Amino acid sequence: MNTYVVETRQLTKRYGDHAAVKNLSLSVERGEVFGFLGHNGAGKTTTIHMLTTLLKPTSGTALVCGKSVTDQSLEARRHIGYVPENVRLYDTMTARANLLFFARLSGVENPDRRIDETLDFLECRDLAPRLVGSFSKGLRQRIGLAQAILHRPDVLFLDEPTSGLDPMGIKTLRDLIVRLNREFGTTIFMNTHLISEISRTCTSIGVLNQGELVFRDTIEKVTERYGSESSLEELYLSVTPVQAKGAA
Amino acid sequence: MRNLIQPVLTIAGKDIRDALKDRFIILMTAFLLLASLVALAVAAIALKVDVATYAEAKAGLIALGKDASTIPDPAFYPLKLLRGFVEHVEIIGAIIGILIGYRAAASERGRQTLALIVTRPISQWQFLAGKVLAGTAIISSGLILAFVIAGIAVIAISGIVLNPEDIGRLAIVMSAAGLYALAFFLLGFVTALWAKKLPNALLLAFTVWLSFVLIAPQIGDTLDPDNQVAGGVFKQLQIAKPQQVEILQSFSTYETIRNGIEVASPTKHFERLSFAVLGIKDTYAGQPLMPILAEKASDLVWLLAIALALGLLLFARRLDPNRLSKE
Repeated sequence: MNTYVVETRQLTKRYGDHAAVKNLSLSVERGEVFGFLGHNGAGKTTTIHMLTTLLKPTSGTALVCGKSVTDQSLEARRHIGYVPENVRLYDTMTARANLLFFARLSGVENPDRRIDETLDFLECRDLAPRLVGSFSKGLRQRIGLAQAILHRPDVLFLDEPTSGLDPMGIKTLRDLIVRLNREFGTTIFMNTHLISEISRTCTSIGVLNQGELVFRDTIEKVTERYGSESSLEELYLSVTPVQAKGAA
Repeated sequence: MRNLIQPVLTIAGKDIRDALKDRFIILMTAFLLLASLVALAVAAIALKVDVATYAEAKAGLIALGKDASTIPDPAFYPLKLLRGFVEHVEIIGAIIGILIGYRAAASERGRQTLALIVTRPISQWQFLAGKVLAGTAIISSGLILAFVIAGIAVIAISGIVLNPEDIGRLAIVMSAAGLYALAFFLLGFVTALWAKKLPNALLLAFTVWLSFVLIAPQIGDTLDPDNQVAGGVFKQLQIAKPQQVEILQSFSTYETIRNGIEVASPTKHFERLSFAVLGIKDTYAGQPLMPILAEKASDLVWLLAIALALGLLLFARRLDPNRLSKE
């Protein structure tokens, strides 16, 4: 049985002459919490959009749970959960109504029970009857996470999940991601440009620089080799030289 | 089959509930109803003035000792009172159609929820069908409400209970109005789905509205030789029908261009059909329904063709959720 939940080969996305993602070959194993690190504009979101079937690659292949995101997109989507950056949902609907909508679209059997279970897991059942429009960013992100895991996906794609959250919100979300991975065995594919997020949440790391994968390893090996979080930062800056020079 | 239909109904149900909470759409529908009632009241006042003038003239004749019994009573067609109402449906109905269509796409773009929907195991056609179904249901509900109120108002004003044929005529015009508003819904939806920037979509949709709802019919009317004098040139000059035909033959190219401008407008097709079926246009007042329908079937086909063409355009093109999630 193929243990790779995400597998790309020479995956490329071009916009005219500009290649947002170049020949990306990457594999993420089942059960991993994979942190996809890179500067703003490195191609992380484009990669997630291709893997979640939102964008058609220019060339190359991408499989999610063995299903091609281009030729078997419907099948691939059954295995996917997706939380975009700044998820907003429907403001005039309650959290439960929002979740019911997405549960039905995902074909969840007995959606009401599943919603209760999911909200219990995320420790926010009290939010169910409230309008999403009244939520803070952190609560909205939590309901965003709930909609993405209602159908118990094999892989959850998170695009900058902690963007704009306060420190408490970041910690809560981080804990939830880890619990989700441990309790449900969900593979996490997380875009971020925050090194602290990677070191505290992820089991493996990939670094994307100007659309190219420049580093890929497990956090365990990276820590063995480089030590602390500050060394991880040095590693990141060393494998993304062009942007680092620009920043300096 | 259930798996195919379930997502369509889920999306449609959500959109309908959403629209019912949208104050702007409620306000526009209320405005249509109010404007229609005002138009009906104005028509009723005009009718009462005509009746009073007639009664006064008849009484004058009798006072002069002349025999007034030979003067036939004027024919009264209650559905004629709906002229202003039909014109409001033409203009405001089209605006409401555009706004509901625009809203159906803009609400997902603005909230970035489209990306969440299209990463579910549903096909693009199911998403679009759900949206179109919701739009059709919202438009139909508004029109049914408007036509029922207009029908009741006609009965109240005229004191004449509408017969089954009159109700049938109203139902036909209501269906045509539904098709007409649906075409504008699709216009608003397609432009809001495809435009790079949402405000551009609204600008484009209203440019089309302005061109086809206001300008084209107006040009057609203004260029009509028979419209150059109040009451009609031929009527005022007392030119008989055969001579009219002969005169107009000299203007055949001009008339082809004028008619071409008119038929480019879905509004004109809706108006021609409605005015004929309701007997608003004198030529058709009191005429049986079936021959009118046979004559005006092409207008209905045009409305259907426009809605179908926009529908095909909508379903044929692949969505670009990446663009739609960036607003």
